[in-house]
Amino acid sequence: MRSLAGIFLAAVSAYAQLSAQQKQLNLESFEKVWTTIRDKHWEKNPGGLDWNAIHREFLPKIEQANSTEQARGLMREMLGRLKETHFAIFPANVYEDVDAESGGDGTPGIDLRILGRQAVVTDIDPGSPAEKAGVKRGWVVESVNGKALAPAIETLSADPEIHEITLERAIASRLTGPSGGTIHAVFLDGADRERAVDLALGDPRGNPSKFGNLPTEYVWFESKKIGNTGYIRFNLFLDLMRVMSEFSKAVEDCKNCDGIIIDLRGNPGGIAGMVMGMAGFFVDRADERLGTMYLRDATIKFGINPRMGLFKGPLAIVVDGSSASSSEILAGGLKDLGRARIFGTRSAAAALPSMIEKLPNGDGFQYAIANYVSEGGKPLEGNGVIPDVEVKLTRQALLAGHDPVVDAALDWIEKQRVQK
Amino acid sequence: MIRKLALFAIAGMTAFAAQQAETAAAPKTEALPKAETILDHYVEVTGGKAAYEGRKNEIATGTFELSAQGLKGSMTIYSAPPDKTYRVINLESAGIKIESGTGNGIAWETNPMLGPRVLEGVEKAQNLREASFNAPVDWRSLYTKAETAGVETIDGHECYKVVLTPAEGKPSTKYYDKKTGLQVKESMVTSSQQLGDVPAEATVSDYKEFNGILVPTKIVTSIAGQEFTITTDSIKINQDFPADRFDPPADIKALLNKK
Repeated sequence: MRSLAGIFLAAVSAYAQLSAQQKQLNLESFEKVWTTIRDKHWEKNPGGLDWNAIHREFLPKIEQANSTEQARGLMREMLGRLKETHFAIFPANVYEDVDAESGGDGTPGIDLRILGRQAVVTDIDPGSPAEKAGVKRGWVVESVNGKALAPAIETLSADPEIHEITLERAIASRLTGPSGGTIHAVFLDGADRERAVDLALGDPRGNPSKFGNLPTEYVWFESKKIGNTGYIRFNLFLDLMRVMSEFSKAVEDCKNCDGIIIDLRGNPGGIAGMVMGMAGFFVDRADERLGTMYLRDATIKFGINPRMGLFKGPLAIVVDGSSASSSEILAGGLKDLGRARIFGTRSAAAALPSMIEKLPNGDGFQYAIANYVSEGGKPLEGNGVIPDVEVKLTRQALLAGHDPVVDAALDWIEKQRVQK
Repeated sequence: MIRKLALFAIAGMTAFAAQQAETAAAPKTEALPKAETILDHYVEVTGGKAAYEGRKNEIATGTFELSAQGLKGSMTIYSAPPDKTYRVINLESAGIKIESGTGNGIAWETNPMLGPRVLEGVEKAQNLREASFNAPVDWRSLYTKAETAGVETIDGHECYKVVLTPAEGKPSTKYYDKKTGLQVKESMVTSSQQLGDVPAEATVSDYKEFNGILVPTKIVTSIAGQEFTITTDSIKINQDFPADRFDPPADIKALLNKK
């Protein structure tokens, strides 16, 4: 409903004369966008442009803009001159959908992906309220607390500047709230029948972890063997000591495995330095690197530190559109070095710390402040990690209890074993 | 020390904020003192050669802070001639412990992000140089060339600018207050096998006397948009150390045996 209201209001404002106050807010928004690029872009001359000349060119146009849409279009045109991704302006209604606050850390323990414009349950945390309530993988979340998810999915999907990871996080946040509370959700089950379920909201899976000023995040790590293949999955590159220790142990325990799968689906990144230590379990040369990050005043290599307990067997890394940042640096770098085979779908293309801020006129402004080039020579930002083997998750496979992406990785490892 | 922590600061970043130290060149022509005069004068104004050489070992304690990221922890450095060190930083709130050391021709680090490392090449040379117990006194053996490169005003103080070139690695520039003779800043390039060469600037201040030597107790380093602060609270000299204080830990020994 809110999205429809936004569209209605947007349509109205397209024809209405801007008030002096609205005009001023658009001007302030323009200045904020222009100044942010001037001060935070990784190049002193952003995009090789004369940024002051850009200001002189666009300021009079913004002053003349008759509508917020026109002002937004001009700001987008200005950002377009950079010819770089992750510089975007979201209309206020889209920004509100992206920024929808859940109001708490409580979760029913459901992970979801947008498959065919439906919010499909892809994972259920062990012991979670969702598991206890009988929710199954492959079910579709239709509504939460009486609000249908479809309109928000439609609005966000229709905006080409909204990436898959942003969409999925925005939708997933609707299933959260204060811990100890409940949500009322309506699902479509495996037979496409509606199931209304009251779900308690519990603490997220994993251990609470604090890293400096970052908010407390719940971090989980799992490792197991599937046949004689090691399987490692964790949700964040945080909880430094524990995750690195468990990662080390998981690789060590698998020294005689046929192969190892690292599943980075849904992992949005975290502490960048951890990837250099992790990659060292699979690469034995200290002069190899995953890629290079370019900041305004420095160039930083992501060199690998070879570790004791090196694993030399086949390595498969699984990614999807919600694998971002450190996940992409690790997967993209090891792919470029020819050390890992990548399965799944293209990653988020968000290797950089990009920010989304609210502008004075209510629009959202996204910008990146560094460039990262993977060892193969391609910027990850905007490109993402392209899988060697593209395998899409489907609702049908989930309902049948399969994970076609992990299955494809297992098949490849088995072929390597047979060929050996 | 600055270089060692710089690596942690960069590798640990999850967000960036560009910062630049502001300095203004003083375009004056004047007869500049030789670099050796400036460097030797620093030793004199901070206590004199005898005070430096009266120390047999040292334990320095203080704090390490990455303020923008909200990370702060305790720091202890054990050091002894000629270049033995053992350093430990505990970032208690994040549960992170970083250890490093030098001595007997070896430089090493154990950092939970990267894992244990035995340093090589320029990075090793830089760390051994920084570990030199009486570095201000022994600068002639640490650098192949020292030149006065001009005068620059830093934070309102006119400073001599001295460029020091080591046998291995890139030159660093140190700035000494003309009036006090104290060092106020250093510009350098930190070298790391993993991160490459990254420029850094350190502002040195808050000199306090410990055991007859004036020591800068606050060092603020800017590198790749990150800023970290090292504060020294106490320095004890001529202490009894355990015999194995400077022995590398087991995982470093394993790496050394592998080589």
